[in-house]
Amino acid sequence: MMTPTELYALAPFIWLSVGVIVLMLQIAFSRSLNGACWVTNLTLLVALYSMVGHDPAGIQVTPLMRIDALGLMFCAVIICGSVVTSLLARDYLKQRPAENEEFFLLLLLATLGACVLVCATHVASLLLGLELLGVALYGLIAYPEKGERSLEAAIKYLVLSGAASATLLFGFALLYAATGTMDFAILADKLDTIQVNSNPIIVLTAAAFILSGLAFKLSVAPFHMWTPDVYEGAPAPITGFLATVSKGAVFVVLLRWFIDGQLYEFRGIILGLSAVAIASMLVGNLLALRQDNIKRILAYSSIAQFGYLLVVLIACGTLTESIPLAREAASYYLLAYIITTLGATGLLTLLSSESARERDHIGDIVGLFWRRPLLSLGFTVAMLSLAGIPLTAGFIGKFYIFKIGADAELWALMSAVIVGSGLGIFYYLRLVFNMTKNPRQVHALPQQTSLEGRSVLLLLTLLILALGVYPQPLMDYLSAIL
Amino acid sequence: MSNPESAELLPFIVYFCAVVLLVATMLILSWLLGQRRQNKSTNMPFESGVLSVGSSQIRLSVEFYLIAIFFVIFDLETVFIFAWAIAFFELGWYGFFAILVFILVLTVALIYEWRSGALDWGVKTRTGIGES
Repeated sequence: MMTPTELYALAPFIWLSVGVIVLMLQIAFSRSLNGACWVTNLTLLVALYSMVGHDPAGIQVTPLMRIDALGLMFCAVIICGSVVTSLLARDYLKQRPAENEEFFLLLLLATLGACVLVCATHVASLLLGLELLGVALYGLIAYPEKGERSLEAAIKYLVLSGAASATLLFGFALLYAATGTMDFAILADKLDTIQVNSNPIIVLTAAAFILSGLAFKLSVAPFHMWTPDVYEGAPAPITGFLATVSKGAVFVVLLRWFIDGQLYEFRGIILGLSAVAIASMLVGNLLALRQDNIKRILAYSSIAQFGYLLVVLIACGTLTESIPLAREAASYYLLAYIITTLGATGLLTLLSSESARERDHIGDIVGLFWRRPLLSLGFTVAMLSLAGIPLTAGFIGKFYIFKIGADAELWALMSAVIVGSGLGIFYYLRLVFNMTKNPRQVHALPQQTSLEGRSVLLLLTLLILALGVYPQPLMDYLSAIL
Repeated sequence: MSNPESAELLPFIVYFCAVVLLVATMLILSWLLGQRRQNKSTNMPFESGVLSVGSSQIRLSVEFYLIAIFFVIFDLETVFIFAWAIAFFELGWYGFFAILVFILVLTVALIYEWRSGALDWGVKTRTGIGES
């Protein structure tokens, strides 16, 4: 039986679900792109507002979910990310007339799935969230009706994601066989006794399966093969959604499982994670060097970024007292990454909104500085932030990684981060140089993008700069609540 | 093999090897002893002794699949409602409201299917496509 307090804690989820139902009825009776967009945004804002005033100490609602500060903060970030995606997607979809209203329906469902995921403290809710997010994403990736590339991308994502979910399930089944629990917090107690009493091989095998499944969703090497193709084939707003909301939510649930379940006490898991982290930093950055498609560059860059982020988990293994700092570092890094990537893919969406073709080739942004100075400035700031240049949010995020890595004395990982960042600067700046090239092509194009798309992008740019120049308030807030 | 778990596994390993050995023996013996022919009809598809007719690439109307998917969805829904109905008295009002919400969501889905023309056979009458 649920008490009113628990129901109140679930308010954002209930509002999102109500929004889905209302939107479905609206589509059934009067199809309109603008109407669907406004219902979506209204739902998201109501859900966001219903999160105000929750107890930051957290409340356990059924064994499945824990609504605490970490979960609420990332729910808010996910919802804001969906608002940005839906605003940008409206212009994008107007260029591609079809039955576009269901796009928003799927977007709301994916948002709900991601919100469930960041609050999950149980294997069942983890899988529910993951599948809700995943199934909605298959539809979103394949959304452009006549796009062969997007169909290919969706099928790749469907097949590989299905395999990853099966791996994940098998891992959880093994873990359940070894410990007899599916709750993350109880898992920690059980693992303690198992480690002392008998051999931990079954736990290690289970953890390897689970981490492979989650690593696929996070697209870290060697589970990264799908990323560039899917990012390239997906419609531009969904590329942004996939890179930010979907990956961010999966990382938060990985953080919860890894830290609440105290998996960091196993030496083998830490070693495996270190290998994966170093591999994805190197693979992501090296493969991005020779790409000509901006979405593919962003895909490889996100592989590398999540390699850096894994350092936070590995540091928990050698330095148990650094766990609060680890949560703080992961949260700040993820926030910076989400804002920056939304900004970068936002520009691609705006450009693609002006034609029926995806404008994601590097040639499409040549000379952009002379045509769209403000937008290119925003993109430049996003690139600098991804590269980790000071005065941007990405620098503070990377600073956190270095701080936690140095505290835990992970020198091999730290040198990989340095090499990776150095390689990264090349391809991020290559995009910026391409925008400044060729000033002769100055033909004033008619401004077709809507005001809200441009203002959203401007806002994201200002946020990147604000978090880089004056990060203290957010850092204090994070260390207070986590 | 000092571990007791590995000792328990030993019969399974022996059994597995025996299966592989048996199948391999059967295949190799029949290959060595059996007769080989190369006639006109050797490589024809064998369908219970009946000659196959026509192409296997038959095109079916997509509506069959749609109906099949509706059947799966509504059938699953029935399963849930059955499970609730069996425990009707134990679940009380809480269960009643839970299933009410569930059926409400289903009704909305049905309205959506009806209005988007998924239930029409042949010519689709969809909302909004031609109108806007």
